[in-house]
Amino acid sequence: MPSAHPRLPITAFSIANALGSNAADVADALRAGRSGLTPVDPVFGLSFSTYVGAYTGPRVDLDGELARWSTPIARLVAKLVDDLGPAVERARQRWGADRVGVLMGTSTAGATTTELAYKAFIETGRLPFEYDYSRQHTFGAVLHVVSTRAGVSGPAWMVSTACTSSSKPLASAKRLIEAGVIDAAIVGGCDTLCNMTLSGFNCLGALSHERCIPFSANRAGINIGEGGALILVERDADEPLAFLEGVGESSDAYHVSAPHPEGLGAKLAMQRALDEAGCQPQDVHHINAHGTGTKANDVVESKAIVELFGTQVPVISAKGYCGHTLGAAGACEAVFGLLTLQHGFVPPSIGADPLDERVEALVPTERIDGSFRRVLSNSFAFGGNNIAVLLGAP
Amino acid sequence: MNQQPYETAVTGVGVWLVGVPDAAAWASGVVDDAVIKPVGNGLDKRNRRRASQHARALSDVYAEALAQAGADAETVATVFGSSLGEAGTMIKLLDQIHREKASPSPMAFAMSVHNAASGLVSIGGGNRGFTTSIAADYDTPAMAIAEAVGVTHRFRTPVVVACSDEAAPPDLVPEVERFDAVAAALVIEPADTQNKVLARLRGPLFVEPTIGGAEASPEVSLNPQMGLLDLVDAIQRGKRGMLRLDRGRGRGWCVAVSDG
Repeated sequence: MPSAHPRLPITAFSIANALGSNAADVADALRAGRSGLTPVDPVFGLSFSTYVGAYTGPRVDLDGELARWSTPIARLVAKLVDDLGPAVERARQRWGADRVGVLMGTSTAGATTTELAYKAFIETGRLPFEYDYSRQHTFGAVLHVVSTRAGVSGPAWMVSTACTSSSKPLASAKRLIEAGVIDAAIVGGCDTLCNMTLSGFNCLGALSHERCIPFSANRAGINIGEGGALILVERDADEPLAFLEGVGESSDAYHVSAPHPEGLGAKLAMQRALDEAGCQPQDVHHINAHGTGTKANDVVESKAIVELFGTQVPVISAKGYCGHTLGAAGACEAVFGLLTLQHGFVPPSIGADPLDERVEALVPTERIDGSFRRVLSNSFAFGGNNIAVLLGAP
Repeated sequence: MNQQPYETAVTGVGVWLVGVPDAAAWASGVVDDAVIKPVGNGLDKRNRRRASQHARALSDVYAEALAQAGADAETVATVFGSSLGEAGTMIKLLDQIHREKASPSPMAFAMSVHNAASGLVSIGGGNRGFTTSIAADYDTPAMAIAEAVGVTHRFRTPVVVACSDEAAPPDLVPEVERFDAVAAALVIEPADTQNKVLARLRGPLFVEPTIGGAEASPEVSLNPQMGLLDLVDAIQRGKRGMLRLDRGRGRGWCVAVSDG
């Protein structure tokens, strides 16, 4: 049945994470099945070992009016805005600056900067002179940098729903454009590494001390990563790169930090994405799973996928490439999906061999080349928050 | 944003502040000194114990607004807004890690996410539908309404917009910027709802405000969520016109308030 909800053209995207500082480098790493995970830097002062997906590429130096907003996350999002290139200027000219929204997601915002400042406060009794809470910690600080750098003045907010944070802005943008509130939006998200996040997942017993190997019988948990991605969506476009076809959101209504054992919420989100796009399960040619590499998540997600899509659609997890970038994961992995559509390959699911025998989904451990018309990307989060994003080729 | 702003109807409101347990108490202006901590009315018993004061305040105003609107906890959509979120829980974690040199508490870490209240309320209501949690500093109330406009338009369903910030953490926030806790909520529905309408909204918009905010202490007025309390106050007192939702500290978003 055709959808009553128009698909949205995607006209530009940018990405930076442990795989590279731009889309071409990230595509090369995915094509080669090359992981960006490395042992965690001692600078984090952890009492345990783990691997991380650290971003070591360039960031933008913020000066002038934005100098006081300069933090690692702000400098990274500024780079991502710049990497969107002339499409932003064109969108601003076409729609008007006040008709272009900035809808982003993060789980950390400026927590990396605040953690260092608070550590200094504990040691010395005072915050560092240069620390500025409202310009360096808050969610609005990142929004200000993106809006200013892009020269847009439409609605701007940060979704913070843990690991679904940067997928949900895609849904928000689709709704706002459909309601006539805006005509275009810069959507995406960004997160940076910090001790608090690494220690937190370690205390939950969810952190792997080795490289993350989702879907493997030997998997031992998550590696945390950092990075970000931005996607420009517009009401219409002459030469779109791809389409945002449907988004499905759901709640588990089950547990604050554990997935529903039958994958009920996950399945609902995927079904709703199909419904919104007017698609059938067989219309989906590749699924980028949430695939954190924890014992519980991968089996439950595989079960939900198989119930809805069967066992013929290739399912991979990107967490073995760049780690779990948390609040940036949804946007980064949506861009991985766009790269699959653009370049015609499904990357291997790194480390999945030997596959957990309870994982019935088709998990390729070798790259699959071909033409892929639709990719579904899943993100699931604390609080039982689920989203599935369906992307289509032009 | 100013082109043909989409109209919505408000069918329920909720308020919580220290000394003010609900919207009726706010309207009456009577302060109850026994009201010190929020209860967590929208939460189940187990999660109520786990929830922070901030999450309980959000669930209290959510539950009050929901009840007035007569909406269904199992299906209603929810938009939670907060500038700082679980800042108190974050500081507890940082103290555990850096002051006590200990491992952080697993429960505190799980509850440190900005969407803790969103998750807890969905569990409490058995709701498998839409929920989100957003932040935009002093523009949070306006942007939460904008998100709700999109959800209302798309799903033709009631949406609870609940915004809260707990008192500013004194170790991180400069003295001149500190504020007391505020939580407020609205239920927003499609304009053609058959339910009793308290007021109608258009926006958010960038326009000149024509009505002022509520009377409140400076400590309360500085809270980033004060704009939503101003809107609840305007609805309760029959103030109609363009209301600024950021107390002059954000980008200037307003909402048009008209009769129900």
